[in-house]
Amino acid sequence: MSVSILESLRSIAKSAVISGPDGVPVVRPDSAEAIAAVLGHASEQGWRARVEGRGSWMPTDAPADFVIRTGGLDRVVSVAPADLVATVQAGATLETIDQSLAAHRCWLPIDPPGGDSRSLGSVLATATAGPLRHRFGPVKDHVLGTTVVTGDGRIVKAGGIVVKNVAGYDLTKIQIGGFGAFGVVVEANLRVRAVPAARALVVATGTLDLLLDQARLLREAAIDLASLELCSPTLLGGDRWTLIVQATGTAPGVAAEIDRVRSVASGASFEGLGPGQASRLNRAVAQAALDGPVSLRAGVLAAGTPDLVDTLGETIGHRRLSASLGAGGVRWVGNPTEAHVRALRHRFAEREVPLTLERAPWAFRRAVGHFGAFREGVRPIAARLRSTFDPKHVLVSAIEATE
Amino acid sequence: MTGTRGGFEALDPCVHCGFCLPACPTYLATGDENDSPRGRIHLIRALERGEIQPTDRALVEHLDACLGCRGCEPVCPSGVGYGRGLEAARVRLAAAGRLPLEVRAILAVFARAWLLRPALLLARWFRATGFPDRLSGHSPIQFLLGMLASTTAGPSGSTPKPAPATRGRVALFRGCVMDGLFGHVHEATRRTLAANGYEIVEVDGQTCCGALHDHAGDRAGAAALAEANLRAFAGRADFLVVNSAGCGALLKDLPHLIPSDAARALAAKVRDVTELLAAAGPRPGAPLAERVCYDAPCHLQHAQGIHREPLQVLNAIPDLEIALLPGFDRCCGSAGLYGVLHPELSRAILGEKVAAIAAATPQPSLVLTGNPGCLMQIGAGLRAAELPIGVAHPVELLDRSYRAAGYYH
Amino acid sequence: MAPANTDRPDPGLLAALGAIVGPKWVRSHLTERRPFEADGLPTHASVPMAVVLPSSREQVIAVLKLLAERNVPWVARGAGTGLSGGALAGGNAVLIPLTRMNRILSIDPVRQRAVIEPGVVNARLSDAAAPFGLQYAPDPSSQTACTIGGNVAENAGGPHCLKYGTTTNHVVALEAVLPDGSLARLGSPHGEPWGPDLVGLFVGSEGMFGIALEITVRLVPLPTTIRTLLADFATVRDATEAVGSIVAAGIVPAALEMMDQACIAAVEASIYAAGYPTDAAAVLLVELDGATASVEAEAALVHELLRAHRARGVRSAETATDRARLWQGRKKAFGAMGRVAPDLVVQDAVVPRSSLPSILETIGTIGRKYRLTVCNVFHAGDGNLHPNICYDRRDSALADRVARASAEIMEACVAAGGSITGEHGVGADKIDYMPMIFDSTSLAMMCDVRRVFDPANRANPNKVIPIHACREWREPQ
Ligand SMILES: Cc1cc2nc3c(=O)[nH]c(=O)nc-3n(C[C@H](O)[C@H](O)[C@H](O)COP(=O)(O)OP(=O)(O)OC[C@H]3O[C@@H](n4cnc5c(N)ncnc54)[C@H](O)[C@@H]3O)c2cc1C
Ligand code: SF4
Ligand code: SF4
Repeated sequence: MSVSILESLRSIAKSAVISGPDGVPVVRPDSAEAIAAVLGHASEQGWRARVEGRGSWMPTDAPADFVIRTGGLDRVVSVAPADLVATVQAGATLETIDQSLAAHRCWLPIDPPGGDSRSLGSVLATATAGPLRHRFGPVKDHVLGTTVVTGDGRIVKAGGIVVKNVAGYDLTKIQIGGFGAFGVVVEANLRVRAVPAARALVVATGTLDLLLDQARLLREAAIDLASLELCSPTLLGGDRWTLIVQATGTAPGVAAEIDRVRSVASGASFEGLGPGQASRLNRAVAQAALDGPVSLRAGVLAAGTPDLVDTLGETIGHRRLSASLGAGGVRWVGNPTEAHVRALRHRFAEREVPLTLERAPWAFRRAVGHFGAFREGVRPIAARLRSTFDPKHVLVSAIEATE
Repeated sequence: MTGTRGGFEALDPCVHCGFCLPACPTYLATGDENDSPRGRIHLIRALERGEIQPTDRALVEHLDACLGCRGCEPVCPSGVGYGRGLEAARVRLAAAGRLPLEVRAILAVFARAWLLRPALLLARWFRATGFPDRLSGHSPIQFLLGMLASTTAGPSGSTPKPAPATRGRVALFRGCVMDGLFGHVHEATRRTLAANGYEIVEVDGQTCCGALHDHAGDRAGAAALAEANLRAFAGRADFLVVNSAGCGALLKDLPHLIPSDAARALAAKVRDVTELLAAAGPRPGAPLAERVCYDAPCHLQHAQGIHREPLQVLNAIPDLEIALLPGFDRCCGSAGLYGVLHPELSRAILGEKVAAIAAATPQPSLVLTGNPGCLMQIGAGLRAAELPIGVAHPVELLDRSYRAAGYYH
Repeated sequence: MAPANTDRPDPGLLAALGAIVGPKWVRSHLTERRPFEADGLPTHASVPMAVVLPSSREQVIAVLKLLAERNVPWVARGAGTGLSGGALAGGNAVLIPLTRMNRILSIDPVRQRAVIEPGVVNARLSDAAAPFGLQYAPDPSSQTACTIGGNVAENAGGPHCLKYGTTTNHVVALEAVLPDGSLARLGSPHGEPWGPDLVGLFVGSEGMFGIALEITVRLVPLPTTIRTLLADFATVRDATEAVGSIVAAGIVPAALEMMDQACIAAVEASIYAAGYPTDAAAVLLVELDGATASVEAEAALVHELLRAHRARGVRSAETATDRARLWQGRKKAFGAMGRVAPDLVVQDAVVPRSSLPSILETIGTIGRKYRLTVCNVFHAGDGNLHPNICYDRRDSALADRVARASAEIMEACVAAGGSITGEHGVGADKIDYMPMIFDSTSLAMMCDVRRVFDPANRANPNKVIPIHACREWREPQ
């Protein structure tokens, strides 16, 4: 069967089609139209497709009749520094994007787990944000518009390329954190920032309680920070917890805020890192998220974080844990059982805290689903949306658990 | 009489923006666009165009439900003259003969001193028995008793030491309800003005101001009363002082009832008592270490544009702590005959105010406001809520402070 | 005024509605339906068949169930300050104002969240949060009147959204009743969607997906320091270029607003005169907020940039009173224009910031071509234009010129890469412009998504998506 799929894909996709390692055909389209042609055909034939970016966050081991690699769509289409917007293809890596933006003195303040090598598409599909979400918000805040190919090969545009826009329904939102169930994002219009004049990073280490306390003091003092991230001992390979504080802005502003951090702190000392050290540390935090087969994130508010971190510690261990103690949200990387995830979800649900599965081997995803049990009334909407964007369920995704 | 379209033109600038909605007590109470300034403007415009008949039951209901407080005017960026437009509409409605019987009866009494005086005398006598005070409460009847009890005077009865009267001759507008039930406020007005260098003259032949009639759309009735007052007061003093915000608003706007130079001249002399006192300083009195709150009558702040003067008067009392509670600038729901005709809505609007007063910490001992209707309404509301808080006119408190300072015999 | 809607719902329906909300909260008399015929944009009007005013969540749910059973269309309404004709109900549609559902259910200062009913007026929430040192950041100029339910439906913005984001960035969870009367709990208090981001999808859906019954929003700390600068310029180009330079310098002002000469003239002639120089071609209002040191540093930089772009004068306000005065004219500009002429067309186009200088020149040219005065007052920082044209609609030739000029302005903005609406929504007013920015496939997809929530198209019918766009993809799948 694969052979015939391979052949018909070759005739439809006007781009390279190869036979992948496991004999599954791999298409590497270089345009939205090419993806649309392939998916349109797959939808008619009832084939199942797996969409892969760089192959670390979206399911690369899911059974499928063929694979779509977005690596062919890796261009930064345009950067408009005066408007602080850029148009980027979904297969482009953050590294590529950063380089193009830097040439225009622009910056995309997204620092997701996994780091620079990730494709934009995977960051959007998983809505994985890093420490900078403290100041710059979740992934969706950076996306002004998208071009998406639906499961049945329609090319749909939503949003626009201006920073403020309410024309039509905000369909971009469905794609961000949609885990690929609602189409293939081929291009996004991003809101970018001017490179800040100054950046600073300071760290404190100590016990969990000490650092939670420091973070609370900083929060109460309303210090203007870019990030306030707590990292577990295992995450950074030591025996103490680490609190990483970043500030961005004008030089005097950054200096003043870091001074305030030091004056508000009590019982902990914040050590400044030079630019090289700082970016090594940031990279280490991002990379650590790959040091385990499963990545979970808990949507918890800063005030509820201490409790939640305790619960995680008691049940599945702190492992590689990081938490934004300002914006909220805890990420945990390790090797839990499916039963663990179910039990935790159950406990967290009582506190209105969702536990989202960001990354896991396919069988695990399939079993527990990315979201677990939905809240009241959401399941039918999600199911109908899926059928709207992908009527034949061509796109392989685990937005619903099998259980 | 005003403009070419009888006042309707004052609504023309309305752009339907809705900025007036949150300022309207009736809209806040019902949430219905029909009970909002913008909604009423919509209805009044349709009335002017003849698309709605003046006898239309729904039209009448929603225009009647308007307090006429004009809280909607100062917040309107387009400068819509809502009060004018409303009066124009009410004239149409009255002309169509739809004034309810009870309104007509009440207006008739107010238009005739020989009917009103005995009624108020009776009320005073009843007040003196102490029953209203003891029986006041929550039910409609108890509420009315509470209103009456709230007109009770504090201690009084002294005369000012002679002071040089250098600030001019002032004729006191006595009014009807004020004269009948708030004689003590008149006393306080006379004493505090005298203590601030004004000479008081008493003018006979004066009568009810006619505001109730005017607001009800009975323009002829209002004009007749206005004529009488014009005859009584013309040329009698430098100022015509009023201590009831509702009467003051009407008298300042006399020319819209009587478009003559004489009316304009008289209107220009009308002052609220707090305006005259503020213009004189006023002279500081003795300290009163009390916590009070001030409530701004609609007809003072919106109709007359007087905001600071009452507070200036109170500031002449050392140690007095004055609070402006949330909603102090919002209508209390009394609005002339409103409380009688729309008891439910009126009480709902009052409820908000009483709740704000009840929630204040520390609790004030007095609510001060310069309009008889408001004094009675708020006073009754406080009684119904069983709050140990009294009501008084600002000049009453100044009067107390002056007495303590030894300015009187 | 719209042709009177003499449709009367069948008495059975009225009685059933009355049984739910109480008979006095059902308005069926034509007179009482009239005031609901328009929102903040009176150029569009249609009288609803009936108006029902529920006061509790149970009542809203019951009303929607009843209307579903009887297959009756309906339209939700907030305060009716919308500027796109969004809350209009015609034909046999029932209007459901949510103004009686105005309780703030909780404010949690530690978690910085508030839970409110949809009829809560925007500014009231900020007032209630202020004692805790918090505010609800989205601040449409209509904030003293509009409801948060309406803000959610329109994804309302405001001057301070440049830095703080619009409504969508502040709503974290929603309880919605769908048109079939079923309940859906979308999102979670943290903002993590708990499934696909349905909160993000619902915000901005213009009342076509259901009724937001309970809204959980983020509150943010009040800034410690605020600095407001007013700069005036001899040319519009200088002013717009100054805007670009401030943003490109990496500064994100809390607000960056602009007014042109025609608008300054209108404001200064009104009782809201703010002391803007009337001979200036444009004034810029720049507000910086945050921690003291950053604000000081940024203010110095902004001052320099304004001067470098030939600002003739720069005033700085530090006290609350001075700031209020500088803002006064901006906030009341819309009303001030109400004094100029009885009718007003308010546009809401967005262009990329860098196109501001040229688009304003184009708008000026279009105005001259049609012999109209166009006043511009807008959110310059995010390129959100509000060209306003004052006119008298009783003059039909004039009204026609206004319509043509409006369309031409819109075309120019779209050609510059912009959008047809930045914050007011599409509603009934801009529906014809939708095909200018979306192809038919994308429009058809919006139709399909709408039907996920509302298969019978009964919620706010005939808004946002042109009907013809919905024919495609209609064949049963
Ligand atoms: C002077 C003026 C200035 C303005 N300035 C701004 C501004 O700066 N920024 C801005 O964004 N807008 C502005 N607006 C427009 C308007 O205020 C906003 O669109 C506001 O969000 C509308 O709120 P509302 O309560 O009045 O809603 P309405 O106008 O009553 O309704 C708007 C839409 O919301 C829907 N709706 C209402 N409640 C609900 C609910 N609970 N659930 C689902 N749908 C619902 C309605 O069906 C309708 O489609 C301004 C308007 C005016 C008049
Ligand atoms: S505020 Fe003024 S212009 Fe706006 S709706 Fe009310 S009356 Fe009309
Ligand atoms: S006068 Fe008072 S009650 Fe009447 S519409 Fe204006 S604010 Fe409302």
